[in-house]
This record gives sequence, structure tokens and C-alpha cells, in this order.
Amino acid sequence: MKKGKLSSLLLLSFLTLASSQAMAMPPVQEVISPNGITAWLVEDHHLPLIAISVAFRGGVEQDSKEKQGLSSLTASLMTQGAGTYNADAFQKRLADASIDMGFTAGRDYMIGHMKTLSRNKREAFRLFGLALTQPRFDLEDFTRVRDQQRVAVKSRLASPEWQGRYLLYKELYGEHPYGYRSLGSDQTLSSLSRNDLLERHHNGFAQNNLKVAVVGDVTASELAQDLDILFGALPKQAALKTIEPFSWPTEPISLAITREGTQTDILFLGPMLQRSHPDWYAATIANYTLGGGSFSSRLMKTIRAQEGLTYGISTSLIPMEISSLLSGSFSTDNDKAEQAVALTKKVWQEFYDFGVTQPEVKEAQDYLSGTMALALTSREAIADVLLSMQTDNLGRDYLEKREGLLRAVTREDVNQVIKTWFNPAHLFASFVGQPQGLTSDKAAEMVKE
Amino acid sequence: MAVLTRTTAWKNFLLSGFFAGALVLSSPADASVFSPTIYDLANGVRLIVVENPLSDAVGHMVWYRTGAADEPDGKTGLAHYLEHMMFKGTAKHPAGSFDAIIARLGGDQNAYTSYDTTAYYEIVPAKNLALVMSLEADRMRGLLIEENEAQSEKNVVLSEREERTGNSSVGAFREELRRVLFPLHPYGRPIIGLRKDVERLTPDDLRAFYRKAYAPQNAVVVVSGNVKHDQVAALAAATYGRLGGGLRPKQPPKISQISHPLKPLFIKEDARVKQPFVTRQYVVSSALKNRQDSLALDVLSEVLTGGEVGILYRHFVIKTRTASGTSAGYNGTTRGPSVFSITASPTPGQTVEHLNQDIAAYLQYLAHKGLKARDVEEAKQRLLDSAVFARDKLLAPAQILGEAEAVGLGAEMVEKWPDNIRRVSTAQVNAALQRLVSNKNMVAGILKPPAMEEKK
Repeated sequence: MKKGKLSSLLLLSFLTLASSQAMAMPPVQEVISPNGITAWLVEDHHLPLIAISVAFRGGVEQDSKEKQGLSSLTASLMTQGAGTYNADAFQKRLADASIDMGFTAGRDYMIGHMKTLSRNKREAFRLFGLALTQPRFDLEDFTRVRDQQRVAVKSRLASPEWQGRYLLYKELYGEHPYGYRSLGSDQTLSSLSRNDLLERHHNGFAQNNLKVAVVGDVTASELAQDLDILFGALPKQAALKTIEPFSWPTEPISLAITREGTQTDILFLGPMLQRSHPDWYAATIANYTLGGGSFSSRLMKTIRAQEGLTYGISTSLIPMEISSLLSGSFSTDNDKAEQAVALTKKVWQEFYDFGVTQPEVKEAQDYLSGTMALALTSREAIADVLLSMQTDNLGRDYLEKREGLLRAVTREDVNQVIKTWFNPAHLFASFVGQPQGLTSDKAAEMVKE
Repeated sequence: MAVLTRTTAWKNFLLSGFFAGALVLSSPADASVFSPTIYDLANGVRLIVVENPLSDAVGHMVWYRTGAADEPDGKTGLAHYLEHMMFKGTAKHPAGSFDAIIARLGGDQNAYTSYDTTAYYEIVPAKNLALVMSLEADRMRGLLIEENEAQSEKNVVLSEREERTGNSSVGAFREELRRVLFPLHPYGRPIIGLRKDVERLTPDDLRAFYRKAYAPQNAVVVVSGNVKHDQVAALAAATYGRLGGGLRPKQPPKISQISHPLKPLFIKEDARVKQPFVTRQYVVSSALKNRQDSLALDVLSEVLTGGEVGILYRHFVIKTRTASGTSAGYNGTTRGPSVFSITASPTPGQTVEHLNQDIAAYLQYLAHKGLKARDVEEAKQRLLDSAVFARDKLLAPAQILGEAEAVGLGAEMVEKWPDNIRRVSTAQVNAALQRLVSNKNMVAGILKPPAMEEKK
């Protein structure tokens, strides 16, 4: 720690800082191992740390209706013993070397994370490789972690937000795998066996559905060798189920369920274009203006800042492989629910009818361009960005071209997207609480298990 | 727990009590953690700069050495309400323009209020630091508090209160537990305020609190990111430096170090709850009150529940299978007393009351038998390693150094933390554990479904 001296510096110009900054992040390299496994790498040696993120295509949607929760349970158990190490021994080795490692099941991908000090790289890579290729799924750990997942399900059921989500997803998707609950239910968890996990792992983790991102204190030539240690033992081909297309129901409905409490939790869901669609950037600008832009959005300005009806209201785009979503949510006092929903619909309708203004487009472009720097502030975060650049097929030069793609969008482009994708008449809605003046289009009740 | 933020969009930055033990961190390679440079401006603003070259962004925070514990009686919620009003405009920048300006930069910003401090942060591309500093300097002395803005924001705060407590079983439970743990102490009041108090707060209340708390000598500014410390100092002088102030940084007001909880067991039943849990909360020393004890508690917390190798996790989750999860939390960076908490949730088929008794008995057993030197040494090593990971987070230095300065502990204590942790002995950790189990100033709080429901 240093004590700075100030006196001599007072005369420096106000703006000295601006000119001296160069792009800090090193370039994105493509590394290919001797056995042909590819990773994207950002090399950085300022701190003795390495972060890895991996994605395997095929997530929760690979479960079956009766076996919901399988992908999540499989992911949790991959760090509970692998190779010759049982769960105890495996966790002890991770702790002793301060290795942070975990797997989760997303809607479309199984995601893995690992972070290590570079001095423990060899051990960390070996353990990560073991977890990926030889997880044990020992029976006692299977039982224990399944119980933990049951507890997690129960905790979610107490939350109005999850109640609304479960309700609406079920209504919207019906039998389609996108309606599956990622953690499953008490009943579906009971039906799972160790064999289900072995099969899920064997089918879902292979070289041909893998994407790898690495950031930190490792060189490209070292990593090329390491990739084979990490992933060389994976099967060449994954065996994934094909997911049926989903067509958005033409008759949206609103559902209300009664829950004890002082507020009503409100969720809207609508269809959204795909991430690969050329109009994606226009859609992100539209979303920013309507409800994505926190305090700058139309909904936040009206419902929170002007009317004080909520603590927060937001919308977001949820890109998914088969069918993307537009989602919006907020909560408000029960006796104000009718007024708040009516006002939200009014703001949304005006947005749909008249579109955005030129200054709004510029504002959104400024924010969305500038904010990329904020997503690249830690090794972990950079690894996640590199990973989604791969899963979304954005190209290795995406970070350089992204601002251009945003700036090229015109007001007309945005308004066209709004006409197709932001129609309030397409929205499904759920109200969880004791909303006054809001009714349910059909009978619905709380999810109990 | 003891932190409220301005919006739900705020990402949880680990400041809440639960994981704080692993937060005040350092690197084993060099003795210091963040290697900050510290300046004192002539008007009493303390400036701390941490250079972090990886990203193109900069994190900027302003900490005030005032929080909810400093509210006058009957005016709970005032500090937090004022935090909301700080976004409602100055003569130079009318209501809404702060949000708009930061948004145009692609920036992220928010604020939070704890019992001890109030903090504001912005993360922006590094080239925009000057602008952010001028905005924060402007609202440090130039806030306008207008009647109609104050009224609509009061509704937002009340709505926030309902979202956090009225509508959340866990939130309501935590608020009541706090009252039992800290009766007659400012730490026992809700930071968000009692509804009856907040409803009565006036613009004059806000103005009086603002004038007193928001002053250069009560502020700590921390900048972390792709910057040079001397350039930041010049910017600070040109912005914060122009405010009239009080010559030197002020020590925050004292808070009583003692609390005698109302009862040792607090059980709340709530029909919305499906999964019960118990949280055993002990009133213990802060780092300000007893540095050695506090360091030993940092290590103890890691020994008990560090990752999946903590002693409690291994016993209750792996061995007896009576808990589905355990956690321990200790954050010694407080002006008043700190809280050491142990939290656990029973596995299906177990009762939460039994789990609570089993944990109490097992802690007694551990205290009697003594922790193994090997477990203590391994926990210390994990704490030391986690320091390097903390350096990978842009805002972490601003949060950790800022909080330490704002409560009166000083940034030096953060930098010396690794060396101090290395020196903690097994005997000291065992002594801390023995004090913990014989500590009468504690409450076991239980949240569960009504008895009928649980049997189903």
C-alpha cells in the first residue's frame, strides 16, 4: 500500500484519462489440440489464475416428461466422485488445491466451470477431465444429492416468482420439453435411477457437442496439449434426442393463482425471434427501450418512477435453440395490481402502436455498445462471453464487430421488429398473490411438489 | 442480509454476512491484497485507487460512514429512503439525468444501505471516469429534495418493503429474528424501516439527515480498474476536491457493542414455507473490537463450512444425512457487534428442531474435543488462496477496501489480513469455538411450515 501525494498533480487536465486508454483485453485465439479439440483462448498473465467454461449441447430439454430433473442431477453429481476418487476424496482434492468446479444444466446446454490458481493447473485439469469423463455416480451420493435437489425444489415452491414461472411454462408449452422443470418434482426425482444418470452422461458429453473457452495464465501451446488431457477421453459422438419444433399458441391466456402475501407477482411471456436472426440486434434495441434498460426503460419510468407502483419492472429476451422468449415481470401491492397491470398494458400498447423514437434508438445503441466492456471484467466472465460467442455462432471477431452491428440498426428496423415480436396481444400472463380486480381465464392452482 | 439495494437488478456482490469471511482477502505471493494507493484530499475525502489492467472498465464507489444505525428514534428507514432520493436530481442534473447519463455510457450503477454505511457504485468504460466522479461530487452536496419526487419515491420504498418482507416468508422471518437478536439496539431495526415510520418521513427529515451525513469528511471514494492512480488523484482533486469540507476524514459515530437477545429460541411458522431451516445467530466481536478474536472467527467459519469439506457439512450432510446443506457466516467489518451464524436445512423426513439440537450438541462436542491442527491449517490456506480470486473481480477492491475504511477499520487491515490469517493458531481458533458455544448472546431462529403441514 502506498500513500499518494496530491499537491503536484492538481494542475493536470480534467481529461487526461481519456486519451491514455488502450483496448485492454488481449485477442481471442483459436487453439487446436493434436487430437483436434478446439478451444478459444484469451491469454492473460497479470494474475496467476485460469478460468475454463465448457458447454455441451443438449440440456434440460433432453430429459423426458417422467424423468424431469435428470440433467440437473447428473450435472450436480459430476463433481461428487470420479475415477478412483469417491465423493469425499474428490471434494477434498478440490478444496486442498482451491479449485472451483461445477456443472449445471441449462435449457439447451450442459455447462461446466472451472477456476484454478495456475500453480495447481496440472491437478485442476486432471480432476476436471475426470469429472467430465469418469464420474462415478455412487449410489449413496446419488441418494444424498437427489435429496438435496428435492429440498431445492421445495424452497422454490415458496417463491411467488417460481410459482408463476411453473404455471405459465406448463400452460404455454404443454408436453413440449421446453415446459420441463429443470429440477423436476418430488415424483419425477423418485423415479430416477443411477442407470439413468450413467446413460444421460454417456449420451450427452462428447467431443462433437463440446465448446471450450479458456482465459488466463496459460499459453496457447501449453493449452493445445492440455486440451487432450481434459477432453481426449470423451466419446467422439453424442447421442442426443431431436427436439420437436414448437409453435406458439394463437390464443394467449392469463392465469391467476391465490397465494398468501401482501403483493402480487406478475409475469408476461411472449414469442421472440431466434438469436441467429439478422433482426436480433433490432430486437435488443426494442427491448432496451421497453423494459430492458433498467431506469431508462419506458416501463420503469412510468410504473416505478412516475407512479411508484413497483420496486422494479423489467423485460428481457431469452434466446433458446427451438423457440426464444420475451419475458417481463414485476410485483406490486395486491390492491394496486389491477391499476399496475392496466398501466403496463397501456405503455406496451403505445410502444407497439407507435414504435420507438430516433433518440431512443441512439440511447439504446450507446448503452448496448458501451456495456460490453462491463461484461469483460473478470477471467470467469470473459470465459462465459467466449463460450456464448461459440454456442451462438457469432465468430471469433464478434467483439470487434458487435458495435457496428448495433449501430447499423435503423429506427425502421426496430419498429418493424416491434410490429412482429412485441405485440401485447400475444402475451401470456400469470398473477400470483391476491390481486384485486384481476381474473383467471381458467382455473389454476399452486404447484405443490 | 443487512444490505439493501436500490433495485432487484443488483447482482449479489458477496457483501452480505454469509460469505464475508472469505472476502477480506489477500495473495500468498506478495504480502498485500489489492496494493491500493491512498490519498487524502484537503477537504477530508479519502481516495483509494487500485490499478487493474485486464479490463476496459472502471469501478467507482463512494462510501459514506453513515447507515441505518445512525437514524434518529422513530425514523427507521430514513438512511435507505435517502439513498433512493440521491437519484432524484441536483440543480445541475435534474431528476432522472443521473440514470440517463450512466446508461448512455453502457454503465451499471446502483446503491445500497447497511446498518453502518451507505454506498454508491458505478461501473463504466474507463475513459468515462471523470464524468462519473463529477456526478458523484455534484450530488454529495448539491442534492435537491423535492416534495413530489419524495412522495412517489416513498411509494417505491414501501413497495420494496412489501416485496422483501410482506411477500417473502424468509424476509419477514429475518426481520423478526433481527429484533429478537438485537432488542433495544439499532441493529434490531429493519434497514428498510417500519412501515409506520417510513409513512411519516418528510422531506425535512431527508434534508437534515443528508446535510449531516453527505459531506467530504464523511466520504470514502474507491476507484478500481484500468486507471493510473496519479491520474485518478488529479480527477478527484478537480471534482471532489472543490467541495467545501472538514479538513480530515471523520471517524464514524460509535455504536453499542453489546446486545442481550430476548430469548434463545425463536420459531416462526408460515404456511407459505415448504422447506424449513434453522439459523443459529451469535452476537460476537467485530474486527474493531477484538482483532485477534475476529481473525480466529474468520478461520473458524471456514473450518466449519468451507465448501464441501467443512466439518459441519461433512458431519450433517455427508455422514448423518440429517441436513441437506449447511453454511456459516461471519463478517467482522462492522461498527457495532458482528454476527456469527450457522444455517442448515433438514433433509426430507427430519425435523428442523432436531437438527437445531444436533448442531448445538455437535458444536459442544467439537469445542470439548478441540479442532485438529490440520483442519485449521487447510482452512487458512483456502482463505489465503481465495484472495487471489478476489483480485479477479473488478468491484471487489472497491467494496472490501471501501467498507473497511467506512467502518473505521482502515484499508491497511485488509492489506495485512493474509499475514494476520497466517499467524492465527489452532489454539486461538479452538478458544474462539469455546467462546462461541458458551455464548449466551445468541438466538436459534427456525422458520417452518405450520405443524399440520409438516406432517404431510
